[in-house]
Amino acid sequence: MQKEIDHIIQQKGSGKEAVIPILQAIQQQYNYLPEEALKYVCANTSITAAEIVGVARFYSQFRFEPAGKHIVKVCTGTACHVKGAGLVFDALKRNLNIPDGKNTDSERNFTLEKVSCLGCCTLAPAVQIDTVTYGHVTPSSTKSILDDFKNRINGKKNRKSKSSKLTAFQGEIRIGLGSCCVASGSDEIRQAVEENLTKDDLNVTIKHVGCVGMCHQVPIVEVIPKGKPAQLYAKVKPSDIQYIVEKHFRPTGFIGRLKNKFEHLVENIQHEERTEGVERYSIDIREKHVQAFLGKQIPIATEHRGVINPLDLEEYIANGGFEGLKKALLLKPEEVIDEVKASGIKGRGGGGFPTGKKWEAVANQTSSQKYLICNGDEGDPGAFMDRMLLESYPYRTIEGMLIAAWATGASKGLFYIRAEYPLAVIRIKEALKICNEKGIVGNNIMGSGFSFEITVKEGAGAFVCGEETAMIASVEGKRGFPSLRPPYPAVKGLWGYPTLINNTETFAQIPYILSRGYKQFAAFGTESSKGTKVFALAGKINRGGLIEVPIGISIRHIVEEIGGGVQSGRKLKAVQIGGPSGGCIPHFLADIPIDFDSLRQAGAMMGSGGLVVLDDTDCMVDIARYFLSFTQKESCGKCTFCRVGTKRMLDIMNNICEGQATENDLDELEKLAEWTKKGSLCGLGKTAPNPVLSTLRYFREEYVAHINGKCPAGKCKPLITYSVNDNCIGCTICAQECPVGAIPFLPHKKHQIDITLCTKCDICKQLCPEDAIIIS
Amino acid sequence: MISITINSKKIQVNEGVSLLEAASVAGFEIPVMCNNGELEHFTSCMVCIVKDVSTGAYIPACSAKAVDMIDIITEDEELSEARKTAIELLLSEHVGDCEAPCRVACPAFMDIPLMNRLIAQGKFAEALKVVKNDIALPGVLGRICPAPCEGACKRKPIDQAVSICLLKRFAFDEAEILPEKEADLVTDKKAAIIGSGPAGLSAAYYLQLKGIQTSIFDSNEQAGGALRYSLSDEALEKEVLDKEIEIIKGVGVKFFQNQLITADTFKKFRNDFDAVVIATGDFSESMAGWGLENNGKQILVNKTNYLTNLEKVFAIGNANRSMRLAIRSAAQGKEVATAIEQMFQGQPVNGELRRFNSTIGKLLPEEYSEYLKEASSLERQHPEGVLMNGFSAEEARKEASRCMHCDCRKPDQCLLRNLAERYKASKKRFAFTARKPLKKVKEHSLIVYEPGKCIKCGICVRLTEKYKEEFGFTFIGRGFDVEIGVPFNEKMNIALQKTAEKVADSCPTGALAKLAEMPNGLNEKMI
Repeated sequence: MQKEIDHIIQQKGSGKEAVIPILQAIQQQYNYLPEEALKYVCANTSITAAEIVGVARFYSQFRFEPAGKHIVKVCTGTACHVKGAGLVFDALKRNLNIPDGKNTDSERNFTLEKVSCLGCCTLAPAVQIDTVTYGHVTPSSTKSILDDFKNRINGKKNRKSKSSKLTAFQGEIRIGLGSCCVASGSDEIRQAVEENLTKDDLNVTIKHVGCVGMCHQVPIVEVIPKGKPAQLYAKVKPSDIQYIVEKHFRPTGFIGRLKNKFEHLVENIQHEERTEGVERYSIDIREKHVQAFLGKQIPIATEHRGVINPLDLEEYIANGGFEGLKKALLLKPEEVIDEVKASGIKGRGGGGFPTGKKWEAVANQTSSQKYLICNGDEGDPGAFMDRMLLESYPYRTIEGMLIAAWATGASKGLFYIRAEYPLAVIRIKEALKICNEKGIVGNNIMGSGFSFEITVKEGAGAFVCGEETAMIASVEGKRGFPSLRPPYPAVKGLWGYPTLINNTETFAQIPYILSRGYKQFAAFGTESSKGTKVFALAGKINRGGLIEVPIGISIRHIVEEIGGGVQSGRKLKAVQIGGPSGGCIPHFLADIPIDFDSLRQAGAMMGSGGLVVLDDTDCMVDIARYFLSFTQKESCGKCTFCRVGTKRMLDIMNNICEGQATENDLDELEKLAEWTKKGSLCGLGKTAPNPVLSTLRYFREEYVAHINGKCPAGKCKPLITYSVNDNCIGCTICAQECPVGAIPFLPHKKHQIDITLCTKCDICKQLCPEDAIIIS
Repeated sequence: MISITINSKKIQVNEGVSLLEAASVAGFEIPVMCNNGELEHFTSCMVCIVKDVSTGAYIPACSAKAVDMIDIITEDEELSEARKTAIELLLSEHVGDCEAPCRVACPAFMDIPLMNRLIAQGKFAEALKVVKNDIALPGVLGRICPAPCEGACKRKPIDQAVSICLLKRFAFDEAEILPEKEADLVTDKKAAIIGSGPAGLSAAYYLQLKGIQTSIFDSNEQAGGALRYSLSDEALEKEVLDKEIEIIKGVGVKFFQNQLITADTFKKFRNDFDAVVIATGDFSESMAGWGLENNGKQILVNKTNYLTNLEKVFAIGNANRSMRLAIRSAAQGKEVATAIEQMFQGQPVNGELRRFNSTIGKLLPEEYSEYLKEASSLERQHPEGVLMNGFSAEEARKEASRCMHCDCRKPDQCLLRNLAERYKASKKRFAFTARKPLKKVKEHSLIVYEPGKCIKCGICVRLTEKYKEEFGFTFIGRGFDVEIGVPFNEKMNIALQKTAEKVADSCPTGALAKLAEMPNGLNEKMI
């Protein structure tokens, strides 16, 4: 072990700030943190025992016991939660035979964990086993998912692909490589395309493009035959590829087509079993809804979406990349700041502080050293904007940082990227390497004499580190405790030096402001909130995905036009906006414009941009409890109001959801929420009560119903019972599948559920072909 | 210098001082818990929050710097509410008793665990002193008390309760009975007591000790009331009672026997004395003309100070309530002495106020071993030998060592308790879930650590870091579940090589306390 640890220390450094990278490397090596290894680190670095243990025990990424061979991660992000992730978790736990109070089965094959968000909200509920992601999982499909995974690891084919020989250029096939696409199998698509192209010796370029935003349709393949209109294919399967390739790049005979159609039919039948978990439609190409989805959007941070290869620097430059930086370098720093101020852009991380003013504050400091941090620690469990931007537009974000560095006089910068976004980390590191080679980052940038270096720091699983002062503590190798502001980081930040921290999206919008001029940016938006905002649209919506819209657009517009309305024709109940710090905007306020002020007035906040659509089957009390339990779990534990206040609020919420609360408890909840809001030290605690307060404000009657023992939406387990109605035809599917044997096997007779055995896992309801299982 | 306003008072302070320091300059005290003079602020407990008048924001005074023209309020109704809420949140997870349950159950609130510890160490005279702080008749009550304290003893469900009552008796029997010193009078005011039962004797003893000349008027030939005339010799040897009365006489109380108190004498007492205490054992028909509000059986009194409807007239013992429990009567005698002293000193007559008390209720079976770390594992001792029904010194010491130290080691220094009292906080307000399990870490020769009493302010973590302990303390976990612990589960005696006493002294609660921490101002040598 010593040799490995020595190597890690050599790589990561032996100063106190290296503690998190060291711990990450140790865990990478051993899949947990052996105590022996940590002791060895203490003995051979300046890191003390108290520091290494304090830090390791703060971040949720770290494990202290060996995990199973495979890690099963159940996403419990907002979108997954409202689509039943809790029941999926229970089912997996059952199927993996994991004992109560443990997270690993006795043979140490599987470790089951909850993760706050995989960022695949449009595939909700999502489950990741090692590197394979399954979408649209249900409790009843968990078994087949595990079978599928076991088949994969047993019979994994070593598929080698070679690139096609370059003969006459025939066209291009674009494959989305955002995390959603990858999660839904785009890598296999790529392999299939490669195989088909190789097999047929076609000279077709495969191009990897960033996120198209249409995450509800992934994996997406776009085919651009030379000189012909592009065709977009959604929800593609590897087996579809042959058909697609043949259709566009070589004439096919009648028999070939027929064969293809037949296979297709067979596939469709097979996929009813959903062995891969990800539901796919038959391939259908560009349609009206694609227009509706993309047409109303204004891409600024997401410009050239789905067109350019994220890592192709030349392509980025050919599409106007680094024009903003060039322009900025010709201006004086204060002129750049004036431009940013004039654009009216406000921080996209949620608080909405004017970006230009923040830059000015840093610029005004005289200091031998200034830092700049790109905040990519996107913690909202229903949001994936930062991830998409980092994965798909790494150069744009880098360009924004360079402009900011020039304007503020910073000489060192870093990306702070959330631990759960490995792909984003890889992309940014790769992009930085390329930029360094090309003289865009580093010394004497583009011959201007201006120098700026950028490094990457990975978070280790702590939502609170999205808060500026906590993030700084984390970069310095400490527990992510926030501290009182002022002093603001602009005055006293990283290592005590002035530090500019902006959100990823803010940086990604800056190049546009410089290259097109502030007026063009300010032409979008409202009087007080300019420009566009990127949202992660998910939940009960027909077309979820990453969208960029002008600020001031109404919720209704987003839901009905871009999102294509509520799923399954249900009624819109509310939109949760701003994640754990935000609130629920009820359907009757759907016409308010989405801007910083209106949302705040309505009891929500812009937040980082998570937008989760809720329908009439969602329980608002459960939603509020969900967010509160998230923030409660993520509280750093420094100040009393947040550490204990959120816990006690959660206690009350739990009592409400169990029908154990009284009207009096509601008053107490409101009072405690108010003080937690006013008295907490940092933004996490100050905003943690928002989901509760906003639902109390608009849906108080649902709280009262729970107090009276009823959950109107039928979601809160202790308040509901399952039973069978007269639709039952006695088909015994439910009886066969009930994991606890609560439904006696009585063919052709009306089934009955023994409520003393029933665990309310919902499997019977999902499987019943006759809608005979009811909740009351 | 910058100009700031605190509670409408304009002052000049140096730039860079905290609001807490600025307020102190202006003469305003702001409560703190997690603040420590030698460490930088950490902003954890939040009881120091103050209000910024211009923005309405609540800011922690320990960490926020005074800035020019700031206008703050340090105390108003809202801030009290905020602080009370913060304290109640901390109390909701506070796993610890301020006072031992035996002491709380004792009507006289006698410091039983301290008596036990002194007896265990062979310090019998000191033990008796502790008893007599609250119980005027330890020899008598050591024989006849039904011992509600033993019913509450946390050791009871483990094996058997500590034999508290017999230990108290031992403390009296063992001590050499010398007359106590006559008390010096501190006032011209005089008190009369009618009746010489447990209530009257007790009131007289404590009044006299407070320097107030006290006279007992009693209708019987000998003093003692029901103790003498209602109890058999088997129940109480009268020599013991005689000894106790001798001591009370010795401190200066005047006894007048064979006194028939009529309405007229009562009226005369009210003229001649500055306070009159009725301790007659009941409300008899003969008292009907005294003008006292009554329900035919008892005199009606104010429950906190025992004042009757008549000015300067108090009623205690069975005269105001029917339950015949000598210890309760004796307790009221002690309490009324305090009320009378308050009246004489022109203070509000609030009687004896009980301090705020955090309680955890019953121990869970899995917690028994934690508490037993403080005690000997011996079985309950039973008296044998020459002293019929009384312990020998050896037996007493053994028995006393069974006491588990349920009381907090910092009952007076604990800032949480002090602030809970100041802001009238309730421990129950946020008690929605079962408490955390209790732990006692007794691995160090100088200190004890009780994680359940920790407020997670991290003072100890930062001190052990500052003084460069190799292990020291660290935060384990985060959020509500965060605990302070030693890295790598190292033992406390290894973790704290230099700072053990320092962290104990700096801990704002009883979470870290010196083993020799002594309550009630008693000398450390006593334990």
